[in-house]
Amino acid sequence: MKTVFIVVAAVASLSLSGCASFRSAAEGDPLEPINRGIFSFNNTFDHYLFKPIAKGYDAVVPGPVKTGVSNVFQNASDVQSIVSDIVQLKPAKLGDDIARVALNTTMGLGGIFDLATPMGIERGNEDFGQSIGYWGIGAGPYLVLPFMGPSSVRDLVGRAVDGQMDPLSMVSSVPVRNTLQGLRVVDARVGLFPAEALMNQAALDRYTFLRSAYLQRRESLVLDGKRPKE
Amino acid sequence: MLAANVAFSQVAPDAQVKSVSTEVINVLKADPAILGNQAKLKELIESKLLPNFNFGRMTQLAMGRNWAKASPEQQAALTKEFRTLLVRTYSGALANFRNNTVDFRPLRMQPSDTDVTVKTVIMQANGQGIPIDYSMEKAADGTWKAYDVAVAGVSLVTNYRDEFNNVIRDQGVDALVKQLQGKNK
Repeated sequence: MKTVFIVVAAVASLSLSGCASFRSAAEGDPLEPINRGIFSFNNTFDHYLFKPIAKGYDAVVPGPVKTGVSNVFQNASDVQSIVSDIVQLKPAKLGDDIARVALNTTMGLGGIFDLATPMGIERGNEDFGQSIGYWGIGAGPYLVLPFMGPSSVRDLVGRAVDGQMDPLSMVSSVPVRNTLQGLRVVDARVGLFPAEALMNQAALDRYTFLRSAYLQRRESLVLDGKRPKE
Repeated sequence: MLAANVAFSQVAPDAQVKSVSTEVINVLKADPAILGNQAKLKELIESKLLPNFNFGRMTQLAMGRNWAKASPEQQAALTKEFRTLLVRTYSGALANFRNNTVDFRPLRMQPSDTDVTVKTVIMQANGQGIPIDYSMEKAADGTWKAYDVAVAGVSLVTNYRDEFNNVIRDQGVDALVKQLQGKNK
C-alpha cells in the first residue's frame, strides 16, 4: 500500500504541474506517433492471436458458463470499486457495492451468480483512475498500452493501484492465478465484440475514433454521467 | 412521416423520445426477424427514428469551425453522407438489441427551454445499464429534434469532430466527402 501512495503522489504532482485537463482529444495526445505504433502492434497481435482465442472461447463455452465466469470477474472488480467508493466519499455507492460483494460472494457461490443485480442493487462501477479524477487531477496524455489498449497517465496509475486490491492477486497458487488472469482477459475481449463491430462500421480512422471515445467515456465515468454541456 | 411530425409538434421532448423508442421496441418485439433483415431494419429507422433528428445541425456541429470553409454543395454532400453513415451504424447497433429494456429518466425543464438533454438507460440482460442521452433542440415550428446522441458518455458529434478535423486538416473537405462515400458503399 505504501508504494501505491507514493505513485499517486508522484503522478498528482506531475499532472498538476503540466497538464490539468484537456478539452480536445488531439491536444491530449502528444505521444500520438508512439501511440499509433503500439496501436498497430496491438491490432496485429489481436488479429492473429488474441481475437481467435476469444472467438474460440465464445463459440465453445456454453452461455451459462460464460455468464458465470463474467460474474466472478465482475465480483472481483466490485471489490476494487469499494475502495474507490471510500476514496471518493460516496456512501450510497459504497453501501451498494458492499451489499453486492457480500451477497454475490456468499449466496452467489463466490460470485458465479449475480444475485444483487436482479434485486436492484446497482454496481458502483468505480475504479482508482476515476478516484484520481474525482479529486481534480486531469487525465494527462492519452496512452496506448501494449496488449492492453487505450489508457491515460491517470488511468495507468489507477490500474496499478487497482491491481494491488485485486482479489485475484490473492490466489496463492501461481498456475491457478495465471489461468484466472488469462481467462479474465479473454472474457473481457469477448465482451468487446459488439462494440468492435460498431466501431468498424462507424469509424473513418479507428485510432482517432477509439481515442475520442475512450477519453470521453472515462471523463463521463469520473463525473458519474453528468457530462458538462459544450 | 408527415403525420409523425405533426403529431409531435406539441409534445415535450422526453415524451417524444419515450414514444418513439417504445414504438420501435414494440415493432422489434412483434417481429424479431427484422433484426436479421438489413433492408427492413433500415426502413424502420428511416420511417420512425430519422424524422426526429436534425442531420444538418448534427453535421454542422461535427464539422465545427470547418463548416464555414465548406461550399454549400460540400455541406449538402457531407450532410447526406453523414446521415447515411449514422443510419448504417444505428442499424448495426439495433441488431445487438435483444431482450433489453429502456428506462426513461424524467426531464426537468422550464417551458421556455429550447435546448435540453433527454436521458435514457438501456438495461441489458446482465444488469449493466448503457446510458443514452439525446441532446434536443426546439425548432421554430415548435418541434423537437435531436442534434447529438451520447452513448455511455461518448458523444457522436464530439467523436466525429476529431475524425473530421483530422481528415480536413490533412486532405481537405472533398477528401472527407470521398471517405464518407467510401464508408457508405
